[in-house]
Amino acid sequence: MPEVRRLLPESTCRSDPASPARFTERGWDRAMERALSMDPDEIIADVKASGIKGRGGAAFPTGVKWESVKKALGDMRYVVMNADESELGTFKDRALLQQDPLGALVGVLIAAHAVDAQKAYCYIRGEYRQAEGRLKDALGTLRQLGWVGPNGVDIEIRRGAGAYIAGEETALLNSIEGKRAEPRVKPPFPTNQGLWGRPTLIQNVETLANVAVLLAHDVNWFKEYGSSDTSGTKLIGLSGHVRRPGVYEVPFGYPLANLLNDSDLGGGVAGSQRLGAILIGGAAGTFLSSDEINDSVLDYASLARYGANIGSGALMVFDDTVDLRWVLRKLARFFSDESCGQCVPCRIGTRRVLELIEHGGLTTRQDDLRELSQAMRDASICGLGQTAPVALLSLLDRPDLIQG
Amino acid sequence: MHTEQAAINVRVSALLEDLPKERSQLLPALWRVFEEYWLLEPEMIEAISNAMGVPYAEVYGVASFYALFDNPEGCRPIYVCTDVMCALRGSEDLLKSGQVGAKGTPVSIKGAPCLGYCDEAPALFDGKVTKTQVTQDALAQLIRGEKHA
Ligand SMILES: Cc1cc2nc3c(=O)[nH]c(=O)nc-3n(C[C@H](O)[C@H](O)[C@H](O)COP(=O)(O)O)c2cc1C
Ligand code: SF4
Ligand code: FES
Repeated sequence: MPEVRRLLPESTCRSDPASPARFTERGWDRAMERALSMDPDEIIADVKASGIKGRGGAAFPTGVKWESVKKALGDMRYVVMNADESELGTFKDRALLQQDPLGALVGVLIAAHAVDAQKAYCYIRGEYRQAEGRLKDALGTLRQLGWVGPNGVDIEIRRGAGAYIAGEETALLNSIEGKRAEPRVKPPFPTNQGLWGRPTLIQNVETLANVAVLLAHDVNWFKEYGSSDTSGTKLIGLSGHVRRPGVYEVPFGYPLANLLNDSDLGGGVAGSQRLGAILIGGAAGTFLSSDEINDSVLDYASLARYGANIGSGALMVFDDTVDLRWVLRKLARFFSDESCGQCVPCRIGTRRVLELIEHGGLTTRQDDLRELSQAMRDASICGLGQTAPVALLSLLDRPDLIQG
Repeated sequence: MHTEQAAINVRVSALLEDLPKERSQLLPALWRVFEEYWLLEPEMIEAISNAMGVPYAEVYGVASFYALFDNPEGCRPIYVCTDVMCALRGSEDLLKSGQVGAKGTPVSIKGAPCLGYCDEAPALFDGKVTKTQVTQDALAQLIRGEKHA
């Protein structure tokens, strides 16, 4: 089956990605007019019925989140687009923003209308300068067309400055407020008390682009692709030892092996041409063996059988010459560098894990590593500390993947 | 010293002139000043604190949180990604050769975690734009300040 193009523009789309011509070509005029003609509750009902789940990692049902924000009490409401994308192996939001920046922004405007927000922020990582430029141009186009501005929703672009943790939703809110990007203790959740204590809707770039294509069409159209569990398509960042690394859009339920091997997708394993393993979901992802890959499709339930998750859509491919202990050392260093240091289990735990791994603990100190991981999972206040040991545990559970 | 601080105050307040003087504009303010000096020293923090009306300790606390503002040499930074996918394509050697080549130049070469261009590894961020499939030659050109590196 050929690659699907919904979130990503058709390759025949020749207009400038941020131009008014692209706006109509992609059907965003239709999406905006439809959204504004609908009652906010109808939009939320459509988003719920579409089955869209968050694409930033946690896969939380998007419509349910919108409903909480809409119902929360507050004199102001905000929408935030999370384009911080600093997860290892993840680059699909960057590709989406470069190829079609208007879609995600249209998603922001629809969300703002649905939850009755007056102001929106797009938070983009500081290294994505080209994508930021596109976003800025697209915002200019929306202003020119009258969709953004003093009479409607105001959108502001915020540039991050090199902090992985700023992508965590409450850390991101602190960053926008001009504070250190340290996560807040939840509850309260941002849906009730987000920016400046007001109800705030935070969504990933790709989630918002999904909303835009949904409103440009309808629920039935949206559900034509996908699995019985998860409707729609998913952007996958394919990297490492494949012939054609890149960002691909495929329906949920797509066989993982086909994603690697189809001639219009990964094109087959590169390097030694023998598959060693994949790491799916990012730095806090799961290593899967080739048997597990052959037995899995791109869907939450299928991957959960192996303790894995689609996460941010990162799919890193390693041939059989890569020492996965080396990969694990890199991941451990990453978490230890990026921990914000606010809570002890994560601050100390990420450092201890790194030390143990650097000193051969993967073979000699497995029990200690497991115990430490459990403590981090149970006692860290945010997702970074809670999920930092996931890749490590997945490798401990797959001794066959560790060489020599 | 005094006159230097005064000069920095003038320059910084000009840079921040059109920014609303709100706490929430602190990160944009830090970016503007950082890109002017490639440095956030106590004098610049002081000037930002004055211009934005945010206490010095708070400005310092925020500035020191973010990796991209950590550039004490004040040289133009070039970040070479040394994370997994780029390392598989030789970025650790790239980093080393860059660091040797940059000695005595107004550029400093640093390692960085994943830059979000793993499909076109190895990647670097030169402080303004990201470049991909970087070769040692391309990095050397960039260090020498040649345009189309
Ligand atoms: C350490 C950490 C980093 C995160 N980074 C991102 C990110 O870069 N982009 C993103 O969309 N979500 C990120 N998330 C998830 C967000 O907290 C949040 O769940 C998401 O933005 C919600 O949007 P969604 O429901 O549309 O996925 C991160 C979470 C954690 C714990
Ligand atoms: S778990 Fe780690 S990153 Fe999260 S708040 Fe605690 S120290 Fe910071
Ligand atoms: S690992 Fe270098 S860009 Fe992702």
